[in-house]
Amino acid sequence: MRPENYQAKSHPPSNEYELFIGPNHPGIEGNYAFKLRLHGDTVIEGKADAGYLHRGFEKLMEGRLWIQNIALVPRICVPDPVPMEVAYSLAVEELCGLEVPERAQWIRVMQLELSRLASHLFTFGGHAATTGMYTPSYWGVADRDLILDLFEELSGGRVYHIFNIPGGIRRDIPEGFLERVSSTLDYIESRLPDYDNLLFTNQVFVTRAKDVGILNQEQALEWGVTGPNLRATGLTFDVRRDDPYLVYDQLEFEVAIESAGDAWARAMVRRKELLESIKIIRQVLARLPDIQGPVRAPIPNPLAWNVPAGEAYARVESSKGELAYYVVSNGGDKPYRVHVRGPSSMHAVQVLEWLSVGARIEDVAQIMFSLDACPPEVDR
Amino acid sequence: MMDQELDRTLVSIFNEMEKVDYQQKSPRRLRVDVAPEALPGLLELLKGKASYVHLSAISCVDWIEEEEFELVYHVWSYEVNSLVSAHTRIPREGACYLSVYDLYKPAGFFERDIYEMYGVYFEGSPHMEKFILTEWNGPPPMLKDFDAEAYVQDTFNWQDYQPDWLKDLEEAGGGVEIRPEDVRR
Repeated sequence: MRPENYQAKSHPPSNEYELFIGPNHPGIEGNYAFKLRLHGDTVIEGKADAGYLHRGFEKLMEGRLWIQNIALVPRICVPDPVPMEVAYSLAVEELCGLEVPERAQWIRVMQLELSRLASHLFTFGGHAATTGMYTPSYWGVADRDLILDLFEELSGGRVYHIFNIPGGIRRDIPEGFLERVSSTLDYIESRLPDYDNLLFTNQVFVTRAKDVGILNQEQALEWGVTGPNLRATGLTFDVRRDDPYLVYDQLEFEVAIESAGDAWARAMVRRKELLESIKIIRQVLARLPDIQGPVRAPIPNPLAWNVPAGEAYARVESSKGELAYYVVSNGGDKPYRVHVRGPSSMHAVQVLEWLSVGARIEDVAQIMFSLDACPPEVDR
Repeated sequence: MMDQELDRTLVSIFNEMEKVDYQQKSPRRLRVDVAPEALPGLLELLKGKASYVHLSAISCVDWIEEEEFELVYHVWSYEVNSLVSAHTRIPREGACYLSVYDLYKPAGFFERDIYEMYGVYFEGSPHMEKFILTEWNGPPPMLKDFDAEAYVQDTFNWQDYQPDWLKDLEEAGGGVEIRPEDVRR
């Protein structure tokens, strides 16, 4: 006889099983878990599980001075920290009505594009690794290291630069820096044909990446996809061009697009952006010696700096997509509220969950990496 | 730059509705203040009539002195290249609001985030559950009256840095024996 409190347990169908990916670096840049329900090799349901990297940045920022937060923001996205510093600085500058000196704006653009290069090198190396090819990831990380060397020389920090502050940048570039940037760019550009041979035209990669994780333009817009992932669906949109900040309206560059919307198209958009970033930095290198002057607007004593009450929404194009900071001040010496809108908060959660349904198990890691998701942006 | 004709579309939308205040902050930024009951309708018009198809973010601000939450919906139009930030205020006590998930899919993420961090419940949102703070039992941590330090003091035990076994060890003359040949010069 059944006991009174007996309740039939709902069992999953016997031909389905569950698979947990993560939370230890499941093929994306950070700790993140992805729970799959599978039928044979096909994914029936994917469930993102964030929170392993939650450090409460938004709460911490409310308790720190405006200038102290500069040390916090780059930590929100490890592979691509410069857009974080710049977006926060842009928001604070808008609140204060600070005019950033022109030289500082050009140096910021140079940093942003160097950071984009570093991030893309990291990402497509990882993407290659998910298809079983490890050489591009070693090469990508090794070439990224050369850019980190430049950042070390510029700011003292390899990964977290803490170099852009509200009002400008911390100090001017070191002597001979532009030549070293130029020679690093020459080297990276000379490597691009190698990368093409190794990865982007390699049949192993093309066959694996084509028709995987297809996202058409309508779906991409519906799910709030931004950045390279959106451009891979054929929409020519770039915050740098269409909502320009700093001096991007004075620079010439193409918005790289692809039309297929699959993992291969997303990788190709990043491949094209490598070249565009190099082109942008070369323009900065050509212009920068003619633009002399201060690199920092005069700001009040940063330890007793009351930012006027108001709110600002600053958007930049990070290597992963649209990055925005919503900053509210109530006139105090600390932010009243900072909201970080990371592009991965869309890509790594709802888009990934939706794209993985119907995918094959061996493609899940590739879909994750082709979306270039950055879990710390989700958790914050 | 905001196109002249579509600007008129926006103005006609705002005129159509009551309780809407708008203010052009810069060529591509528009601030709109709207009553909570009118906001979903406004977003629907913005999306349907004026091509504001991209929900960039939903931000929540806790105005504790006014006892209100401010919800800010940032929507972007890929056609006119402009951002509308729609601000609305809801009472802080028992905060509850309508989901816009049917209009904008990205709202699912932001509404869950605000529910976790501020405790604002969104009716009709598909994911009103824990996501980032899965094992958290305390109050919503982003509230202004949540004192993180006091919570830590009440909830966690400080590590005992002077346990008895260490004291015993120190009394016996320390734990590790360093032989003369191991001393680095």
